[in-house]
Amino acid sequence: MNRGPVIFLGTLLAFALSFFAFVLFPQVQVGRQPLAAVLGAPDGTTYPAELPGQARQGAMIYQANGCAACHSQQVRQTGVNFKVMLAEAGTNTAAVLTAVMDANPKLDEAAARALLQNTPATVLPGLSDKKVADAAQKALKNAGAKAEIKVEPTGPDIARAWGARRTVAADYLFDSPVQLGAQRVGPDLANVGLRYPDANWQLVHLYNPQIYAAKSPMPPYKFLFHLHKVEAGAQPSPDALTLPAEFAPPAGYEVIPTDDARALVAYLLSRKAVAPVFDAPLSVAQAATPATNAVAGGTNAASATNAVAP
Amino acid sequence: MNSDTKQPVNSPSATTPIWLVMVFAVLFYGGLVYLDHHSGGFEPQVYAPYHSLAELEAAQPVSGAPNPFLIGQAVYNKPTCVSCHQATGAGTPGQFPPLAGSEWIAEPQPGRVIRIVLNGLQGPIEVKGQNFNNVMVPWKDVLSDEEIAAVLTYVRQNKEWGNTAPAVTPEQVKAVREKIKGRSQPFTPAELKTISPAD
Amino acid sequence: MSATTLQSKAPGGACEAPEISGCCGAGVPVLALFAGAACWLVVAAVLALIASLKFHLPSFLASCPAMTYGRVHAAHFSVLAYGFAAPAAIGVTLWLLAKTGQTRLALPGGAFIATLLWNLGVLVGVGSILAGGATGFELFDFSQAGSTMLLLAYLVLALAGGLTFANRTERGNDAVQWFLLAALLWFPWIYTTAAGLLGCAPVRGVAQAAIAWWFANNFTFVWMGLIGIGTLFYFAAQFAGRPLHSRQLALFAFWVLVLFGSWAGIPDSAPLPAWLPALSAMGAFLSLVVMLAVAINLKKTVGQCLTRRPEPAAKFLGVGALALNFFILVRAVTSFTCISQITDLTWVGPALTQLWLYGFMMMVLSGAIYYIVPQLAGKEFCSPRAIKFQFWTMLAGIVLLVLPLLIGGVVQGEQWQNPNVATMDAVQATLPFLRVSTMGDLFILLGSVTLLLNLGGFFWKCCRACCAGSCAASSRTAGVRA
Repeated sequence: MNRGPVIFLGTLLAFALSFFAFVLFPQVQVGRQPLAAVLGAPDGTTYPAELPGQARQGAMIYQANGCAACHSQQVRQTGVNFKVMLAEAGTNTAAVLTAVMDANPKLDEAAARALLQNTPATVLPGLSDKKVADAAQKALKNAGAKAEIKVEPTGPDIARAWGARRTVAADYLFDSPVQLGAQRVGPDLANVGLRYPDANWQLVHLYNPQIYAAKSPMPPYKFLFHLHKVEAGAQPSPDALTLPAEFAPPAGYEVIPTDDARALVAYLLSRKAVAPVFDAPLSVAQAATPATNAVAGGTNAASATNAVAP
Repeated sequence: MNSDTKQPVNSPSATTPIWLVMVFAVLFYGGLVYLDHHSGGFEPQVYAPYHSLAELEAAQPVSGAPNPFLIGQAVYNKPTCVSCHQATGAGTPGQFPPLAGSEWIAEPQPGRVIRIVLNGLQGPIEVKGQNFNNVMVPWKDVLSDEEIAAVLTYVRQNKEWGNTAPAVTPEQVKAVREKIKGRSQPFTPAELKTISPAD
Repeated sequence: MSATTLQSKAPGGACEAPEISGCCGAGVPVLALFAGAACWLVVAAVLALIASLKFHLPSFLASCPAMTYGRVHAAHFSVLAYGFAAPAAIGVTLWLLAKTGQTRLALPGGAFIATLLWNLGVLVGVGSILAGGATGFELFDFSQAGSTMLLLAYLVLALAGGLTFANRTERGNDAVQWFLLAALLWFPWIYTTAAGLLGCAPVRGVAQAAIAWWFANNFTFVWMGLIGIGTLFYFAAQFAGRPLHSRQLALFAFWVLVLFGSWAGIPDSAPLPAWLPALSAMGAFLSLVVMLAVAINLKKTVGQCLTRRPEPAAKFLGVGALALNFFILVRAVTSFTCISQITDLTWVGPALTQLWLYGFMMMVLSGAIYYIVPQLAGKEFCSPRAIKFQFWTMLAGIVLLVLPLLIGGVVQGEQWQNPNVATMDAVQATLPFLRVSTMGDLFILLGSVTLLLNLGGFFWKCCRACCAGSCAASSRTAGVRA
């Protein structure tokens, strides 16, 4: 029996199946995905934005130094909660009061009254079932009040404030190579541009992470900086890092970030993945505190937002 | 211990035990059940923890009134303001004043900033302790009341820039537009100082 | 096996590289592949140790960009996979194809040059990683120049393997051949896919990540798995002195591995549409059937021989088989959403990769090398005690490396899952485990140095014998066929 062709065809079949499922189909579904529309934003607002030039260079520094070996850039989500909010109590206090107490039997009358006084207030927190939330909202509306439902993604990553929602394919459309990371030796960086928006903080942290966290196992990236001698009588450079005394360079010297360090920081500051999109919905208002601007970071707007001035 | 010229040919070879085939069948079936529950119907838009497109659609936030902040951001970056004041709101040192942290933006009443946007600005101005002397073009023929209100809201409420002034409504813009109807000249900072911000 | 029986059947000294056309020369490419692999294994172990030491002292070598943790980490895995595991696996494949087909290695000259090219490719690739030119995809980190060289070298080596198979004179024992031939075909398909869609004309967004995961799984689990399992089957029959228990069962394992095992590898947390991780999890569950089929087949073939005092090579292979089972089991368990929420994005991932590369591949390939090299060269290794030493150090290394990382990974996952644990506390919680695993790296380094010295001493002995002139007469009857 001549087995060669049989083995060849069998293997080819198995390979083709795997190829279709894990290369071709994802490429059709995800690789050719158009830019996402941002929920709650005017029509035509697309997400994400192309990385500005400096951040693109920074992505190469991130890739070259294997930052992804210790840091992931993906936020996970385990569920979604619906919160019924009373926006305005309206005029028909008695009816609204009943509706509020019907919706949330845990509230006694005094608590419900207090709630009506302090709008906007949460009537029902953390519902996992949208239908219950819808029913409560409808009852409140019928009573003449204004009620809304907030969509709140949940999960340990989100509780850790690593992001407002899970990351989806749209967040990475302009990343090449995609640096998802497989490991969280340190914290996730999917939204580091929101969590630590200060370029100087980032630079000092790269120079020596132990300045901010004495026990941090992150190595210092001093090779991204150079020591510069301050000429006698000359002004210190405005670019020099401000370092605490025990980490400061010897007297007469200052630490200047290289272009690589600046680019890397620009890239880090560009890491914002909270724009609400269909694939990962959340209420815009919820994102308002840091994230409204994050949306800014995401939409074509913010291309230059994160330029780190030399 | 063994012949290494030739391995014995596997002549009477055992068959696959039937229980293993059944294990395979059970695992395969279990896998399909798992897939049915977790695959989200092979839809490209369904990610965990959602299980189906219907569930995802139900979870979409009800699109209420459009968010003026987001509209303003879109207007700012059209590009209109962004060309001079930069996406960071930091302006350009020596040329264009910053919006981020500017005391002009921080005024609780928006009367002066609305005038600046409507008719433009000319002449020396001091912002955050720095002096500028440049020309800002008028936007009254380019942007509607709604757009001006939105873009000012975006600038004034942009926490990332350190601005926390109240929002601006289209009605406020409309009122100011009425007041300065006949005027075509840009304002000067000195002149603006004489106008009450509440006006 | 004793030296005398070996030498009576496989005399000679396959040591003179220029004599490639001679019959003893047919073994030269295989020996060269093994020698290169042994060198790279030491390099990989050193890199692993450097990376591991960074968790004791973050500032260790921190001023040198090439020694940044991220670069060393990537270089370690790349060297281990492409420098050691792949060439050693190809060497074993070539030898087994010649052996099972009762023929001689085809194209020995081309294969020898390809071996040199392969090692050059690895050198270029590692250089590029350390210089900051990594592609950013795990196990596909080599620069384009490096990966092109690897592909070219592989094509020649695979051609040699294919021709060897075509020239076979013996048609028995085909279960092993199924595994090896499928492996020969599998690699260029996955490698060109990855090179094309990640390197030359990169696809957009996370489609890249999907392809990178798919490639990494197909490269390690399927390609190396095919060769490793084929090798295990061959040697089980060989050491037991009887045919493989069941050819049908072996082919059953083969089909499940290529059809479903090739689906695994996409982590549950991936930012990809839900069906991709789900389908991947199904592949990981079904791999359990591969585990059972291989385990039964090996057990039934070896049977009561287990009680006999095993040969050194057999011990390596036995540990390799256990590691294979453990890997498949752990990966299937960690594919369930409720468990993967904890274990994804932790040290469990690197623990599994190293369990596969060290526990399975390194052990199986070391065992095979210790069996094949004396056969090819017709000489025994100088020191059986060194082999024993290597076995125990490597075993200790694997246990001390993989177990702390697995446990540490679970602890790490638990810490990150609890939002009340401060970031720095969560980071600190895993460090003790990482520091224990440094011991594992140290032991593996010892073991790999032993392997290198053992092979080096062997070749030295062999060459000395050659120079004494004993080679010429006997080489005529030696060769891969021996």
